[in-house]
Amino acid sequence: MESELIIKNLHANIEGKPILRGVDLLVKQGEVHALMGPNGSGKSTLANVIMGNPKYEVTEGEIWFKGENILEYSPDRRARMRLFLAFQYPMSIPGVSVANFLRRSLEAVREGNKPLEEGENPSGRLTKRRSIPPGEFRKMLQEKMRLLKVDNSFINRSINDGFSGGEKKRAEILQMALLEPEVALMDETDSGLDIDALKIVSESVNALRGPQLGILLITHYQRILNYITPDVVHVMYDGRIVKSGGKELALELEARGYEWLRPSDGENGVTVNA
Amino acid sequence: MPKALPSGLSRSAVEELSRQKEEPEWMLQKRLQAWDIYENTPTPLGRRGDLGTLRMFSNFKFQALSPYVPSNGTLPAAIEQSLEEALVDQRAGLVVQRNASVVRVELDEKLKRQGVILTDLDSAVRDYPELVQQYFMMTCVPVNSTKYTALHAAFWSGGIFLYIPRGVEIEEPILTQVWIDSPGSATFAHTLIIAEDQSSVRYVEEHNSAFEGEQASLLDSVVEVYVKNAAHVEFSNLQDLGLNVWNITNKNAVHEKDGSTTWVLADLGSRVMLADTGVGLTGNGSVGELVGVFFTDHDQRYSLNTLSDHASTATNAETLVKGVLTDESRVEFIGMIRIRPKAQQTASFLSDHTLLLSDKCRAESIPSLEIGANEVSASHGATTGKIDEEQLFYLMVRGIPREEAERIIVQGFFEPVLQRIPLENLRTRLRRSIVRRMSGSYETEADTWVDAQERWEVEGVDEYAISLDSKPVDEEIKLVEY
Repeated sequence: MESELIIKNLHANIEGKPILRGVDLLVKQGEVHALMGPNGSGKSTLANVIMGNPKYEVTEGEIWFKGENILEYSPDRRARMRLFLAFQYPMSIPGVSVANFLRRSLEAVREGNKPLEEGENPSGRLTKRRSIPPGEFRKMLQEKMRLLKVDNSFINRSINDGFSGGEKKRAEILQMALLEPEVALMDETDSGLDIDALKIVSESVNALRGPQLGILLITHYQRILNYITPDVVHVMYDGRIVKSGGKELALELEARGYEWLRPSDGENGVTVNA
Repeated sequence: MPKALPSGLSRSAVEELSRQKEEPEWMLQKRLQAWDIYENTPTPLGRRGDLGTLRMFSNFKFQALSPYVPSNGTLPAAIEQSLEEALVDQRAGLVVQRNASVVRVELDEKLKRQGVILTDLDSAVRDYPELVQQYFMMTCVPVNSTKYTALHAAFWSGGIFLYIPRGVEIEEPILTQVWIDSPGSATFAHTLIIAEDQSSVRYVEEHNSAFEGEQASLLDSVVEVYVKNAAHVEFSNLQDLGLNVWNITNKNAVHEKDGSTTWVLADLGSRVMLADTGVGLTGNGSVGELVGVFFTDHDQRYSLNTLSDHASTATNAETLVKGVLTDESRVEFIGMIRIRPKAQQTASFLSDHTLLLSDKCRAESIPSLEIGANEVSASHGATTGKIDEEQLFYLMVRGIPREEAERIIVQGFFEPVLQRIPLENLRTRLRRSIVRRMSGSYETEADTWVDAQERWEVEGVDEYAISLDSKPVDEEIKLVEY
């Protein structure tokens, strides 16, 4: 079955304050969607809500992935369905080496979408997890690292600890390459990158692009779209997608800004299907 | 074979113990003096509003304990097996104390010829009386330090005596274990280490118990380390007693010029623990380092007290403690840096970080500074907090279930301190113990994690490293612009 991510009329709050006010979106495997919009329009919230961040409360709507409504699933279960989020601000976790973490992560994702059964100790399940031999894992990881031009010393460092902004973003892409998601959400992967780092990250994303991978690329600059060509461009404003179009839309936004897309009060805004 | 004393602590029990051991008069007198101090010292009750560890001890039924339970050398299978696990291939010596008796002593022959003495303290009283008289509970941990050190001095039994002559450097670790497998007993294990000028030793002491049931036992131990000119002692202590054991421990090291000590303290077990650890920097240029790790669960209560006592010029001390609490456990940490007026050019640092995994656990951290000199550098820092929900979310978004993600974060929290534990075997077992404690009986994950960690550490990655320069050209990714 095709891996589609379908968002229907999604509303979400943070601390009682509504951020998403009815988002509709469809991302299919093999497609690259750019999600643009001004600061505070709800782009990052959407990514977090799709992954199940408990900070946000979904008040209405549905999220479907691979034919299942995943709204009640834990973040780890969503990830094991091969839904991926490249974070805007990746957390650093001191003392945990990238190598160990990625191996556990890969094992988990390969285990697939099995829910935690009622009353079953989660660590009990882990004992049954098929472990990936370190040697084999190391080869896989180093292949990806070579592809993404990531330095070897990186895998013995602590996760994102002391990484520069560019290193953090590249580490996210490395994880994406390793975990082979079917739909990846990339939250402002271009922010904070200088032009060289931006090129490397873009090259990496292009290298991962293919019929197996759907991408939702969140950005508020058109810049990264010079390197990663989107199939569809969506514009988010005040918690809704107010306009969708082809790649030309990004250039138009670059020229005209976002203000012309501001929805008038009480309306849902203009929606143009690509 | 001596017989166990009936339960009850009394002056006549002290006399009976000394008689059974056929001790010289001076030791009997020392015990009796200590008993008098114990009787005349008021029971410490702690501060108002503290977490109540001392108060719990004040209500502890000492009179229900037998102060002397000797054991023979035949170790139960469970202890033998655990001993096997603990023994690294290379070691310089081994001592096993079971309840009140030292049942096994081994020392490398070459070290014996060099004059190293490793024996039980009872034998040392008989064979090296002048050394014991000079050092035993005199300046390092004096009898009257606390009510409980006085009790210890009155009833000490078994015990380990290590003497390292001038210039002898013991490379491989000396391993010692104290086992308690008798309910309702009090064990007063004593360790006395004398490291002469320019000598060095790595010493590991483990405290374990192996008995079931509610009836509590007590381990009231004292460790004294005398570090002479430019000598170095590395002392590691892994405390993994059962929840039916109450634990009081006093450790101190005193230094001559340029002497140095490293304390590594790992505390996981016991129902209630009262621990005092000190570095007495009495010699110019002496150095003390303390690395501590603890993990508490159920309704464990710890009171951890450290003292960096700077009494001479150009002394250095660093204390680093990290702990994780869960369930309803409570830990109080009091870290003191004392810089006396003579201790100019001193540097002293202390940090204490705790992570709380449950809503009902409590941690209190009281770092304090007493500075009597003006040319010093001293600082302390303490943090207490919960696991960061954003860190958890990050790991979960990578497919890792919440419970395991918590364990990974805890591992990471401990890792920098574990990296400072010099002995690999101890480090590995400690990692494993922590994971075991967090996930109950599921050991596979602990082993996978630890093995993986170790393997990466041991093998490194360089052997498979791929030079970026030799990257084939056809893998270059072309930029597409539009």
